Amino acid sequence: MSDLLTFDNITLKSRLLIGTGKFSSIETMINSIKASETELVTVALKRFNKAKTEDDLYGPLLELKNVTLMPNTSGAMNAKEAIRAALLGRELSKSRFVKLEIHPNPHHLLPDPLETYEAAVELVKQDFLVLPYIPADPVLAKRLEDVGCAAVMPLGAPIGSGRGLATKDMIQIIIKESKVPVIVDAGIRSPSEAAESMELGCEAVLINSAIAAAEYPIKMAEAFQRAVKAGRIAFEAGLMSSTNSAIASSPLTSFLSSYD
Amino acid sequence: MKIILNGDTHSHEGNQSINSLLDELKVNKNHTAVMINGNVVPKENWNDQIINENDEVEVLVFVGGG
Repeated sequence: MSDLLTFDNITLKSRLLIGTGKFSSIETMINSIKASETELVTVALKRFNKAKTEDDLYGPLLELKNVTLMPNTSGAMNAKEAIRAALLGRELSKSRFVKLEIHPNPHHLLPDPLETYEAAVELVKQDFLVLPYIPADPVLAKRLEDVGCAAVMPLGAPIGSGRGLATKDMIQIIIKESKVPVIVDAGIRSPSEAAESMELGCEAVLINSAIAAAEYPIKMAEAFQRAVKAGRIAFEAGLMSSTNSAIASSPLTSFLSSYD
Repeated sequence: MKIILNGDTHSHEGNQSINSLLDELKVNKNHTAVMINGNVVPKENWNDQIINENDEVEVLVFVGGG
């Protein structure tokens, strides 16, 4: 039986979502995307700059088979701006996916829950598949699910910090309560943290800096690809329960000492 | 005609269509989104919708982002 990640009528085989920021070159980005086997990648909108046309990565991305674009609303300071960014992104991507992110404070880039909620309500009405980047807040996650978001994406730690699953306890509560996919977005540094997220029951992880800022991004993309698969299979297999004392896995018979 | 293009004052000499402005900028039109005075302009309207003096025009492309 195939294990698919589902958003409305769209199904994905890969549970690894990739961000396209911070790569040293478009070629490295494209090859990392291929190595990751991802089918959903985020992109940002920027003003066209005549002097820097090599910034336009849309052409190379379009050539990738089986990859859908998910424009983000980065740069939006409030709900109104995020809605505008989402509409512009959809004009270009022709995809219903939007990564809703509103983080007005550049010092910590933590999401604004009130503006995010307000924007989510409107974008769902406009038939977007809304994947909001949110603080690891179970109450907010539930409210966003209730208004029709396609998933919730709590942060593991601040964007680009590489501090891993700092919010693990809250993410576990969100997973337990959630009927839509829970996707850890931001904070993950190592494939083992991605695997751990999947073992907890996350439906996917979104990785950018951990790949783009690795010494060898393409190799790291492959490592994440394998880690996410391993973590997912482990979740399905069901982890054994843990105890504080030892439980022997070999027989403790005493025949070795009977000849002393 | 003077407009505000991506936040800066810009003199556009062509006709008032969006297509004419994009031609002048030599952008790849298939990789571009346009907003005028805060409203998204769908591609099918680029030939017909007029840019007026002092309009705020945003010409946007996709870049890397997480």
